[in-house]
Amino acid sequence: MPSVCFYFEVHQPYRLKPYGALQVGRDHEYFDEKLNAEVLRKVADKCYLPANHSMLRLIERTDGRFRVSYSITGVAIEQMKKYAPKVMDSFVRLADTGAVEFVAETYYHSLAALYDKDEYKEQIDMQVGLVQKEFGQTPRVFRNTELIYNDEIGQFIADLGFDAMICEGADDILDWRSPNFVYKVAGREMRLLTKNYKLSDDIAFRFSNQAWAEYPLTADKFAGWVHDHSGAGDVINLFMDYETFGEHQWKETGIFEFLEHLPDLLFTHPHWDIQTPSQVIDRYPALGELPFHRTVSWADEARDISAWRGNAMQQRALNEIYSLGPAIRRRNNSHLLALWRRLQTSDHFYYMATKSASDAEVHDYFSPYEGPYDAFIHYMNVMKDLNLSVLAPPEKRIRI
Amino acid sequence: MKILMLGWEYPPHISGGLGTACEGLTTALAHRGIEIDFLVPKLYGEEDAPHMHLLGAASAAPTPEVWTDAPRQMPEPFAALLAAEPTLATDPIFIAAVEAAQAEAVSGTATELRTIRVPAMLKPYLDEATYQELVTTQKLLPTDVERMFAPESHPDLPGPPALTTRLEYAHVPGGDAPIVEESASGAHYGDNLFAEVARYAMSATRRVAGEKYDLVHAHDWMTFPAGVEIAHRAGAPLLVHVHSLEYDRAGQGADRDIVSIERLGLEHATRVIAVSYYTRKLINRVHGTSLDKISVVHNGVYARETVQAYKQQRKSTGPVVLFLGRVTFQKGPEYFVQAAARVLEHVPDAVFIMAGAGDMLPRMEALVKDLGITKSFRFPGWLRGAEIERAFSTADVYVMPSVSEPFGIAPLEAMSYDRPVIVSKQSGVSEVLRNALKVDFWDVDKMASQIVAILELPELRNTLIERAREEIRHIHWDAAAEKLVPVYKSVVRG
Repeated sequence: MPSVCFYFEVHQPYRLKPYGALQVGRDHEYFDEKLNAEVLRKVADKCYLPANHSMLRLIERTDGRFRVSYSITGVAIEQMKKYAPKVMDSFVRLADTGAVEFVAETYYHSLAALYDKDEYKEQIDMQVGLVQKEFGQTPRVFRNTELIYNDEIGQFIADLGFDAMICEGADDILDWRSPNFVYKVAGREMRLLTKNYKLSDDIAFRFSNQAWAEYPLTADKFAGWVHDHSGAGDVINLFMDYETFGEHQWKETGIFEFLEHLPDLLFTHPHWDIQTPSQVIDRYPALGELPFHRTVSWADEARDISAWRGNAMQQRALNEIYSLGPAIRRRNNSHLLALWRRLQTSDHFYYMATKSASDAEVHDYFSPYEGPYDAFIHYMNVMKDLNLSVLAPPEKRIRI
Repeated sequence: MKILMLGWEYPPHISGGLGTACEGLTTALAHRGIEIDFLVPKLYGEEDAPHMHLLGAASAAPTPEVWTDAPRQMPEPFAALLAAEPTLATDPIFIAAVEAAQAEAVSGTATELRTIRVPAMLKPYLDEATYQELVTTQKLLPTDVERMFAPESHPDLPGPPALTTRLEYAHVPGGDAPIVEESASGAHYGDNLFAEVARYAMSATRRVAGEKYDLVHAHDWMTFPAGVEIAHRAGAPLLVHVHSLEYDRAGQGADRDIVSIERLGLEHATRVIAVSYYTRKLINRVHGTSLDKISVVHNGVYARETVQAYKQQRKSTGPVVLFLGRVTFQKGPEYFVQAAARVLEHVPDAVFIMAGAGDMLPRMEALVKDLGITKSFRFPGWLRGAEIERAFSTADVYVMPSVSEPFGIAPLEAMSYDRPVIVSKQSGVSEVLRNALKVDFWDVDKMASQIVAILELPELRNTLIERAREEIRHIHWDAAAEKLVPVYKSVVRG
């Protein structure tokens, strides 16, 4: 009896304000509070509230046969509580249905996995604690920022005691294998759930693309594509940004109607059901180990980490922020630690990407700035101020 | 398809000017099988244009008086200039300048050497006197300039002054001599240029009489009267191509007669081509031409212009920030100076070079002095040839803070020397560049921040340079021709 597994990522960064060189030493408010509040409220209205409402209705209507899983970053939860508390309430209501699983990640949606393993572990522990406190669950499954994964990361997460990890079903990694089975991390028992990127992206990216041969995508058609996999797989993993519903794909595209009708149409085939990640690994055996010969993510055409570390600016900014670790910790100040961590959020580096063609369009869509160079300039000016005004020894600190 | 193209100079005399654009565009169009008759005011026998049929309007006209006059006494500065650059002898712009100077000498006005190379070359692109007035009498402030370019401060221009005698030539069928009445104020250079425009319209019309063309394509206002007349007589659709507007050059000090000629061309055109969306909007705002009537075709760069950068050892100690262009209101030199003052607080050893001349130069020198940053500034005047190459090669960043720039090819040149560039958002070129920093010309804080960042962050500099190197390869005239051909087809069919 095969399953469909839905997993949605919910994340909002603390965006930096345009921070010019002339502000260095004068201005220690780095984040664009107005913009961040605005974005969160806008996305709440367009996506989080209506989508949560739909999910809740679907769960109730199907008596819990419809199930979903989420990862909501710590920084997103902080901002929801501050700017749109109703959103948090509705996630809690979803948690209370028992049909919703919460997956863990880093609290700050950071790239610590690639730079600082101690920091990485702390951010994971923070997020696990947050999920326990807000939703009363202890996550068994982990997803790394933007599905960044390699064997070393997989093994590190396995050693922390998680039961499964979510990753991208990249073609060159799967090779002859299908994404529609459960695998194991190389050298560990921890399970891997691989995203079926074709079917996931049909919804997340192509749903409203009128140039697409399959446009318009109906729930009926999509359910048919899922059913075509009967007998050829255990699980279809549909992993995407939650903002797909109402934000990336506007309400006018019919995305909510699609969502509304999909479960019933999936259930028209008697063999198919819907499961959460933990249920999937409890039910289906792992076919074998899935080694990753490179670092994979779910971003850009390349499905690698070039979206955050593809150019010299991004590398400089990342090296800069992570090299501050020891100095920040020595200060032993919780506000400073939180500030440093907010500056680690991967989005800052994503905005600095200098990609071409369709990748650039996606980066531009998310970026609050006029382009990668401005993003880098603002970030580096903030780093400069942080160094000069906060971290420098008191006698050398700039005071104005 | 056979077209008639009307230009003002060929081959290019001013790098990045109209001649360059015409050369690039016609070459690419010829590759696409468009047959081109290209008409310029006068041929000199040295032109090399195997891709098209080059015609000189003057050859068919009774030779105008000015060209045949016995050599007159040449004012001394011109003679010196000619000795330094003998090739100028055949430069029509130089000749026009000499004539203007002679005329002025007659009327008793002294002509400075400085004004020869600037307004003489650039009268079609620049109305010096109006700037001078603006700048010296009104003391332009950033807010004034902003206001000046804001839509609401552009009340409709008074209708074109009922086409004065200057333009009557276009309506005199078969007249043998140019009918140009000089204005009461005497034969100053402006009238001389209008005379040239009129003469060109006359002789061009005669030169192509009886020829069949699918369309007539006229570049900038100097050729519009000719275009209107020829298209009318040949019953062919007219395309007018706007490389810059009088408003770009002069703001509210625009020469009304030039504006009215622009409007004449725009109104008679079947279709208008603008070199940028920025210019398209400005045409619409200034002339009320419907946006639907205006297509945008961005300029390109020639592969041979984007030469391999050659790097020279820098001689000065600090990092170099370069402004290169006319020092006029349009080019925003004041914002460059204001940004420099702010940069120096962060990068005290930076050196700022303002290369070029223009009516705002004295004021800029005074401003630099007032701000107490004279030591960090260099004013080398006009650069040419190897000096330009050296300036680009030794600069750490090139800044184009233009107040209004229809396109602006200089940043592309700087990029071809592997220099990072900052361009104002009030420029057409900013529409086609991803790998340049962009800033509103009046936002001197941000401009300063961008300069500081480029000077301080090698990763920023290198990424800009690497990506730009790739990018400028795609900004070529073939892409422009590719957009232009469908426009041609649409007007020919219609």
